[in-house]
Amino acid sequence: MTSWNETEQIEAHIFGSADTGNALVFEARMLLDPALHDKVLWQRKAYEMIGHYGRKQLKLEIDAVHQQLFTQPEHISFAQKIRLLFINR
Amino acid sequence: MRYILHIVIKRQFMPGINNPNNLIANREAFFIDLYKNAFPAVAKYISRMGGSFDEARDVFHDALVIYYEKTVSALPMPDNSIAYLVGTAKNLWIKRYRKTEKNIPLDNIDFTLGEDENMPSSSRIMRFLETAGKKCMELLAGFYYEQLPLTEIADRFGYSGVRSATVQKYKCLEKVRETIKEKALTYDDFME
Repeated sequence: MTSWNETEQIEAHIFGSADTGNALVFEARMLLDPALHDKVLWQRKAYEMIGHYGRKQLKLEIDAVHQQLFTQPEHISFAQKIRLLFINR
Repeated sequence: MRYILHIVIKRQFMPGINNPNNLIANREAFFIDLYKNAFPAVAKYISRMGGSFDEARDVFHDALVIYYEKTVSALPMPDNSIAYLVGTAKNLWIKRYRKTEKNIPLDNIDFTLGEDENMPSSSRIMRFLETAGKKCMELLAGFYYEQLPLTEIADRFGYSGVRSATVQKYKCLEKVRETIKEKALTYDDFME
């Protein structure tokens, strides 16, 4: 088995998408193989980090949109309308 | 099913989504539209409550993230996106910034975005992944965060087809998993 097949199986286990037979085989292997169990834990962490990364990139895109709306001349009336709300603050 | 729903939703909000080169440009147009329609109400409310421009911007950005994540997930969509955004931003502001009579510290927020990002070792690992593993992280975020179908991933990242994109996805996932493990073992505070 190549390592990416194993990664795929770990994913199926984490997301609960394996069919019953494969899921049982995988769980049995996990009990017998601490290294596999360990990989499952780190792969969960990897999904978490990927989620944070994706969110961070999205926030950068939103920041760029904000910059555009508050600096570019074609959006000046929108920007002024908002800024007026916070004048004297 | 999830992907089909995702594409339907995305098409509804972002026409032209099929062309991967247009994806970011379309998302930009999508956010500009939401900004123009929802931000004035959010800003007006926060200003009236004594909040600042920066506070309004921060909660609105988080509300946009929450809304976007809802659009790409299989969760039911709110009927009125503008009302949903304005309501989310107002709630976030109340939870974070509104001064209570007792001056309770505002760390009891039940909806926090990315609390793990604040962990020092977690952000060190993130910085490492962002630089050394950028291409993999982009591919993986495209698949797991943006929930793009593999055909779009293949187009965007230049793979010959779904199969090679799939193999690459798992190889990247394995690489990221091993990197996190290796780095985490050198940073004591990573695991609880």
